[in-house]
Amino acid sequence: MKRIMTRSIFVLVVTLAFFAGVCLLAFRLLTQNEMWVQQPYNGHVASSSGLAQAGDITDRNGEILAHTDANEDRIYHSDEAVRKALLHVVGDNSLNISTAVQSTYRGDLTGYSFIFGLGMPNSLRTNNSLQLTVDAQACKAAYEALGNKKGACVVYNYKTGEVLVDVSTPTYDPQNPPEINEDNEDKYDGVYLDNVVSSSYTPGSIFKIITAAAAIDNVPDIYEQTFTCTGAYDIDGQKITCEDAHGTIDLETAFSHSCNVAFAQMAVQVGEEKMTETATKMGFNKEFEVSGITLSKSVYSLENALGDNQLAWSGIGQFEDLANPMHMAIMCGGIAKGGTPVTPYLLDSESSLFSKAKESEQMLSADTAKKLQDLMRKTADYYYNARGLTMGGLNFCAKTGTAEVGKDKEPTGWIVGYTEDENHPYAFAVAVEEGGYGISAAGPVAQAAISALVNK
Amino acid sequence: MGFQAFLDIAVVALRFLLPVYAVVIIYQCFASMRRHRRPEKPLVTLELKGTSQLIPVLFWENSIGRSKGSDICVEDPTVSRDHCVLLRRQEGWMVSDIGSKSGTFVNGKRTKDRTQVLIDDEITVGSTTFVLKRGDEFQDEIRPSWFFSKASNKGSLQQYKLMLLITFFHLFMTVEACFTNDVQDFTPFIVFVGLEALLWMFFFVSTVVLRRINFELEALASFLTGIGIILLVRQEMRSAYVQMISAAIGMILFCIIVKFIENPDRVNNWRMAIMIGAVGLLVINLVFGSVQHGAQNWIQIGPISVQPSEFVKIAYIFVGAAALDKLQTKRNFLEFIVFSAICVGALAIMGDFGTALIFFTTFLLIAFMRSGDFKTVLLALVSVAFAGFMILNIKPYIAQRFASWGHVWEYAQDATYQQARTLTYIASGGLCGVGVGNGYLKYIFASESDLVFGILSEEMGVIVSFAVAISLVALAFYARAITTRSRSTFYSISACCAAGLMIIQSSLNIFGATDLLPLTGVTLPFISAGGSSMISCWGLLAFIKAADERTYAAKRLKPHREK
Repeated sequence: MKRIMTRSIFVLVVTLAFFAGVCLLAFRLLTQNEMWVQQPYNGHVASSSGLAQAGDITDRNGEILAHTDANEDRIYHSDEAVRKALLHVVGDNSLNISTAVQSTYRGDLTGYSFIFGLGMPNSLRTNNSLQLTVDAQACKAAYEALGNKKGACVVYNYKTGEVLVDVSTPTYDPQNPPEINEDNEDKYDGVYLDNVVSSSYTPGSIFKIITAAAAIDNVPDIYEQTFTCTGAYDIDGQKITCEDAHGTIDLETAFSHSCNVAFAQMAVQVGEEKMTETATKMGFNKEFEVSGITLSKSVYSLENALGDNQLAWSGIGQFEDLANPMHMAIMCGGIAKGGTPVTPYLLDSESSLFSKAKESEQMLSADTAKKLQDLMRKTADYYYNARGLTMGGLNFCAKTGTAEVGKDKEPTGWIVGYTEDENHPYAFAVAVEEGGYGISAAGPVAQAAISALVNK
Repeated sequence: MGFQAFLDIAVVALRFLLPVYAVVIIYQCFASMRRHRRPEKPLVTLELKGTSQLIPVLFWENSIGRSKGSDICVEDPTVSRDHCVLLRRQEGWMVSDIGSKSGTFVNGKRTKDRTQVLIDDEITVGSTTFVLKRGDEFQDEIRPSWFFSKASNKGSLQQYKLMLLITFFHLFMTVEACFTNDVQDFTPFIVFVGLEALLWMFFFVSTVVLRRINFELEALASFLTGIGIILLVRQEMRSAYVQMISAAIGMILFCIIVKFIENPDRVNNWRMAIMIGAVGLLVINLVFGSVQHGAQNWIQIGPISVQPSEFVKIAYIFVGAAALDKLQTKRNFLEFIVFSAICVGALAIMGDFGTALIFFTTFLLIAFMRSGDFKTVLLALVSVAFAGFMILNIKPYIAQRFASWGHVWEYAQDATYQQARTLTYIASGGLCGVGVGNGYLKYIFASESDLVFGILSEEMGVIVSFAVAISLVALAFYARAITTRSRSTFYSISACCAAGLMIIQSSLNIFGATDLLPLTGVTLPFISAGGSSMISCWGLLAFIKAADERTYAAKRLKPHREK
């Protein structure tokens, strides 16, 4: 009997292992319960009455973007244009827009706590209000400037990280969500995606910022070199074409005139390996996270490239290159900050949580950042200003892009850059699908958004 | 408005009351189990002949031999390592030789089979002779196991009061189930009345008809069974009735098994029959079984579908355990190994991976508890062969479960659909739950059995669900604490292994649903919906019940009174 008792210790071991598992489960539950609850399929928060008890959502100036009235109906901003402009940030009653605050923070809004769970009767629940960092009126301005075009506009304060403008089109009115059927599918194609965070577009000439950085870092005599542009250039037996015959030019002129021929040669000089290295350092092929939302990746990959010709195309933002608007804004913020960007955020509470602006990984050396600043400043000063583009009267640095996306489609227009002002340090990125030239399609959108922010 | 607010507060108060109440009930069940039964005194003593040295005989079955692990260790080179067994049966004390070299003698006569010894009889092993004396001649104090509370401690609740507590708990659950967010009607009361009638009838039969003095083990099982049934009321009424009928059958089986194993030697005679019966059941399953959700472990008989492997669990424990003098024989042991191989093999062929795993781990438990010295090597070999066989038999869908294991949020829309929802709804319930019938997990496939821990957590709160998990831990501790106080090693081994089996099954169920282990689709004892599982759990509980020496103690005519 004694021996059986001793051997029964094995049962005890199994039991203790079970107990340890129960403890591990309890630990995970204690530490991760909020993440577990905030799933789009959660019936307690996703049902039609899921927002009946939700708190208010306000913008940075206290304008109410969404609240629940006495009848437990969810009421959005009184201005339809603001409602449409901020649809993708605020969200609607459904959970269709998965990156919107009303989807990702629904548990917070409806007053989830681990102790009470989600089962409290409505009369006894406490809810939370959320203040966003966005500026409703600036978003409206950007939305109106985008017009009927599909696209994305993002502006954030590169010193603090606050996202001020986050507008994605196409959009709809969350107060009266449309019935999407076969007839209007085209109009609402991609309407549930926030293009700022969840889309990546062909970058076109804005990618020359990266190619320039790669050349500055890897080609010692890049500032002494000159390039001859006759409007076209032959690499590997295939042509790289240019808008104009730019003649004999150096790096600075090539950048401000956005000369494809010069940058194609630079990309070939830098080579596949170093191009990829610089692009990766600057955030391509990486996952960024903004307020818990994982951004769509920007892509720079030469895996499928057949030779120098495609390497050259990749250096001017074509081939298989893709860029995410929020990432482009972060990159410009990084250039403005001397190489290391501040991570953007959308919820005001986050600033108090992490008292100081959170820096992400270094993208560029301070020296390279400064050289890029000069290139982008000169481009803006001599070229964009001359075309009448102003950013609320602030000095700014920028680069436009006009990305070819296919034979029967108009190009995607881009502008990325930042303002140089102590009180208004804004990094921005605008992409307009089928917009045509960056300067005329995307430029005015950025201008509208920033002017609205400056002229408050 | 005022009335609504009052109602809301009442509902919340009830919801906060229930977890505390559940903890109290579980505590009371175990307080009763821990109560000291008899003073730790030797049953008889052995006097070493020629000296006045007294050796206490503490257990109902005692091994005598030279080896240190023997209950009565004899330092005599002419005695075998495991010489004989001194055991107590209904008829009195007996001695049984277990293959010693020099033989065992009673009053100078060499014994063949079990031989009765009376007080003052002489037992000779090797060159050592003992005289059997009464137990009260030994005066020294013996320390009881830590599990049992001191004799002086105040007694626990009386049994009927415990049952009343449980009934009221079920009543509160039923009230919650009547007033859910979506439906308000009194149909849950039909189930409640049926359930309580069943539980009280069982209580009546146990205490009055069978005159058993203790009921706490049955009370705990009744408590859990009731929770499982009431949780089903708002999910699928039909299952609740099926569950109730199964519980009734389970209770009858419980009584039958407790009665059947009253005499551990009788079980030994039935061993072969049970084994053949169990193998037959598996064969029928393999031939006529229907495939449900990837595993061919069901037999359809008219409108009823049963899972034979659940009943084989009981047979498995029967075959695995044995009295101390039968434990060491090679034949007994080999039979068990062959039987294990057939069981695990049959389950692997059926694709019932979860149950095969339960059998395999239970096999390790039993093997470890009974293995002697020379057999350990053989055991290890067989174990390795089993493990290899099981890996070879992993079906693609099982391999997929392993692949997605630990990545619950990545595959939340396909492979780990069930686990992700379980976690979400466990967290949604909070400490006190959203109320019976208000959960959403119940709409997920197989939630009433595989994910029942999630439903329990969501609707009743994590305090209740974790208390239930802890109660299973305590059950295993209890089964182990009574090991040396059982009337035979048959009971000790079967109780420990039945408890171990339940723990393993609970681990697979709870951790499978919450992504701590791959999902294997086994049931949570007493709570998961599933008739066969419910019946087999009550059957397994009978082994733990039988291991408690009070179960077969002299029956009293008057109701038991506590001091």
